[in-house]
Amino acid sequence: MESIIEIQNLSKRFGAGDNQVAALQNVSLSVKPGEIFGIIGLSGAGKSTLVRCINLLENPNEGAVLFHGKDLTSLKEKELRLQRRKISMIFQSFNLLDQRNALDNICFPMELAGVPRKEARKRATELLETVGLPDKASAYPVQLSGGQKQRIAIARALASDPEVLLCDEATSALDPTTTDSILKLLQKINREKGITVIIITHQMSVIEQICHRVAILDAGRVAEIGEVESVFSNPQSEAGRRLVSPESALPVSEEDGPVARIAFNGNASEEPIIASVAMDLGIKVSILGADTRNINGKAFGTMLVSLPENREDKRRVLDYLNDHEGVTAEEVR
Amino acid sequence: MFDVFSDAAKVAQQLQIIASEYSFATWETLYSLLLEVVFAYAIGLPLGVLLVTGEKDGIRPLPGWVMALLNGVINLLRSIPFLILFIIALPLSKLIVGTKVGTPATIAPMVVAAFPLVARMVETSLREVNHGVIEAAQSMGASAWQIVRKVLLPEAVPSLLSGAAITIGTILGYGAMTGIVGGGGLGKLAINYGYYNFKFIVMWAAVIGLIILVQIFQSAGTKLAAVCDKRLRNRS
Repeated sequence: MESIIEIQNLSKRFGAGDNQVAALQNVSLSVKPGEIFGIIGLSGAGKSTLVRCINLLENPNEGAVLFHGKDLTSLKEKELRLQRRKISMIFQSFNLLDQRNALDNICFPMELAGVPRKEARKRATELLETVGLPDKASAYPVQLSGGQKQRIAIARALASDPEVLLCDEATSALDPTTTDSILKLLQKINREKGITVIIITHQMSVIEQICHRVAILDAGRVAEIGEVESVFSNPQSEAGRRLVSPESALPVSEEDGPVARIAFNGNASEEPIIASVAMDLGIKVSILGADTRNINGKAFGTMLVSLPENREDKRRVLDYLNDHEGVTAEEVR
Repeated sequence: MFDVFSDAAKVAQQLQIIASEYSFATWETLYSLLLEVVFAYAIGLPLGVLLVTGEKDGIRPLPGWVMALLNGVINLLRSIPFLILFIIALPLSKLIVGTKVGTPATIAPMVVAAFPLVARMVETSLREVNHGVIEAAQSMGASAWQIVRKVLLPEAVPSLLSGAAITIGTILGYGAMTGIVGGGGLGKLAINYGYYNFKFIVMWAAVIGLIILVQIFQSAGTKLAAVCDKRLRNRS
């Protein structure tokens, strides 16, 4: 399928001379129409810079951003402004106009585009309905909770009838329950309106919950891209592994023997696998840490277990585990 | 010791002056204040906007030398002592209203002294506007002019009003000083009758009038700013 947004060899540097920092280095990725694409990385990985390069709030030093095959970086300012109406954005800090009420905030992009006031108000009222806040038309941002503000921001983003919605850490300032409801709203918008959603986040749970594909960004480079299920169950890159099984899941003690990482990729049977090792092989392994989660009803995640010191036994345990469908095991120490 | 009876005659004479001149002086003060504020904002507001939008990371950067010139001129005008600047700028009045004396003649030099202050006040207010909101507008395809008109200025209204209250107070103070060099109003009353002619009751009456005016404008400005600020709405 042709991609709706394609980023080609994008580089962005901040500062000059010796203080120059490369925020993005040779980043390439493409987003398909209608998908929810996640970009995840730790703080400072360059995620926000990347999303801001998509609508050119930030000008990349090198590379191209194609929207429907047209390079945005080559456009004149006026043309770029027209294209930006088709790529809406929501933010971590909502960025609503404090001196306007909810309805007028939603009208704002239509005002910019010259939509007649009456028509704009009608559409804004409908959008309030869409985001589930029909009674908040005359409320000012200060009177709204964080989740409500983000809903208004989403309604505002939808007002220009965009094809792409960029979400820059849109749920990072919200509590888990509110995050959940905002993600469901984004999912609904994606399904019902067919809007392509690009989500920048540092929260694994956000990606798991609604993204179809994910790119892992590490130190300004794309570490890996793929279906969420395959990337999270079996990360190929160091950055991916760090994200999927965080440092804290690793045993701290130096005395421990060899350690294996077992990855569940969603196809594992319900068999209690650790117990089976003990029963079938007569070898006891203990769980050192586990980080598993449920994605679309399937079990994903990793588990760290201790391996026997004996090389022969160690081999047997790893082979046994790898024989199970949906499970991969490798020695990590 | 005061001679109560001869003083009574002086008091009566001074009250006479107050009765005949006070209301006209107040009127002169107010109408010149109004014109000065209007013209100072007509020049200072756009300059204040340029100071914010024209800088290197602003929404419509101007060439560095333009900004340096703009800042330089504003700082220069702000650093010249008011009375000196007033006298330097008086020839402007000759050009505009055809005379260098009287209340109308004070307006042009007053505006020259006040607009740099207005520009800085406006600049400060606009800088308080959350950058994220400007960025949001940009992401929606807003032009620089739309951002100024629909984001920067409306979002800064409470702060602009507070700034205006301070500006009006300052212009009132400057205006009173012009009494020394031929300006009219309450300042002239205080200086000419009171300070130069030892009519201290007239002087104090004029000073108290000025104090009351400053109080009124300041509290009205503060109040208006609060009423307009939608961020101060009680949470529902």
